[in-house]
Amino acid sequence: MSGSEPRPFVVFGFDSVHDTLAAEDVLRSGRVPAVTIPSPRELGELCGIALRVEPSAAPDVEAALAAAGTPARARATILDR
Amino acid sequence: MTESARVVYLDNGATSWPKPPEVIEAMASAMREQGANPGRGAYPMALAASRVVFESRRACADILGVPDSRDLVFLAGCTQACNLMLKGLLEPGDRVVVSSMEHNAVTRPLHVLSQQGVVVEVVAADSTGLVDALDMERAVKAAPTKAVVCQHASNVTGAIQPIADLADIAHENGALLLVDGAQGGGHLDIDLAGLEVDAYAVSGHKGLLGPQGVGLLYLRPGLDARELTQGGTGGSSSEQDAQPQGRPERYEAGTPNTPGIAGVGAAARLLAVHGAEWRAEEQRHFRMLKEGLLAMAGVTVYGPALNEPSVPVLSITHDTIDPDRIAFLLDRRAGVAVRAGLHCAPWAHRTIGTLETGAVRFGVGYATTEADVRTALAALAEVLA
Repeated sequence: MSGSEPRPFVVFGFDSVHDTLAAEDVLRSGRVPAVTIPSPRELGELCGIALRVEPSAAPDVEAALAAAGTPARARATILDR
Repeated sequence: MTESARVVYLDNGATSWPKPPEVIEAMASAMREQGANPGRGAYPMALAASRVVFESRRACADILGVPDSRDLVFLAGCTQACNLMLKGLLEPGDRVVVSSMEHNAVTRPLHVLSQQGVVVEVVAADSTGLVDALDMERAVKAAPTKAVVCQHASNVTGAIQPIADLADIAHENGALLLVDGAQGGGHLDIDLAGLEVDAYAVSGHKGLLGPQGVGLLYLRPGLDARELTQGGTGGSSSEQDAQPQGRPERYEAGTPNTPGIAGVGAAARLLAVHGAEWRAEEQRHFRMLKEGLLAMAGVTVYGPALNEPSVPVLSITHDTIDPDRIAFLLDRRAGVAVRAGLHCAPWAHRTIGTLETGAVRFGVGYATTEADVRTALAALAEVLA
């Protein structure tokens, strides 16, 4: 088990797996680090996948996704390791 | 010698063969390395499977001229795509205008719909299988019409229908244009957004060079077709009883055919690079075949004139020898694989006058060679001698 303390991350949820992967592509192209994770309940979902980013990157993520026409459907902050 | 090594395969109207090695490898890789369920998990293999589906969809969208790949749905075949296109959009009381060249994938769903109150108006094509846009327009204007339904190309004669004109006619009269593109995908350079069709069904395993068991349906943005199947989609809204309405999930309930989708995606990537060159070679070999058949005594060739556009499919009959006998002897004597019968298109055979006898269909593909054509023509000459 990891001994690291939970810290805040921002998670973005999308309408579909397709949209999540499209958003992942956008972020990858813009070299914005994002991790694909199971959708946390904070997004209102118990199934599917979501993108997790550092809080400091969240504004850039929102801007990049909006510019690409693939905005997130939901955003939440979670504590994670 | 293996069984396949002696085959001169000219049944590409049924399915393309051989499949490119890249297609086979992509399918094997999907089972070997991306074998988890796509869209159902966030661990690496599940994500890899999800990306296979995602990237295949984008590759298919690219070669079909679909700007937003979410508008392209994976199904279990073109027949399912035709069923969704028709049953998802038509309601009792609607009237449709349909060509007389349609395949059973269209005519049988329309038969069911007609029993439910959809009015089906059939417009006859000419003896080459070509639909006259003016005839379709007259039929559309005769009464309020919900949809014009037409194939892109005939699976019997190869005739290419005037889809762009039909789109104009349909839209000028407040109707939809629904297209069965089974014989179009891969054999024609297709730009679905440019054609302005409302829905277009594609086979993954014919000209698109993928495996059997995969079809695609394009639905233009905003077109609200009812889904025919409800179930798990793996993604958002799992807690809801109602089917998610977003594309493509709305139409893809259940575990997708990842290996098949991987194969058609690999094929689409190949066609993006080689498609124009392969289509040119197909047409060259098809013309060679057609010229040879037109020169044979006693043979009637069903299809557009030699210099008219056609997908690489045609049918023939002979004055005295039945089609089934011709197909059997071509196979037995020279390993030439062709298909006799009605090709699941009795309407088309009624139109061209071969409903009672059937015909022998030849379909050229990307892998057909000059030697294949020469072998087939020589074998046919011997069978008919």
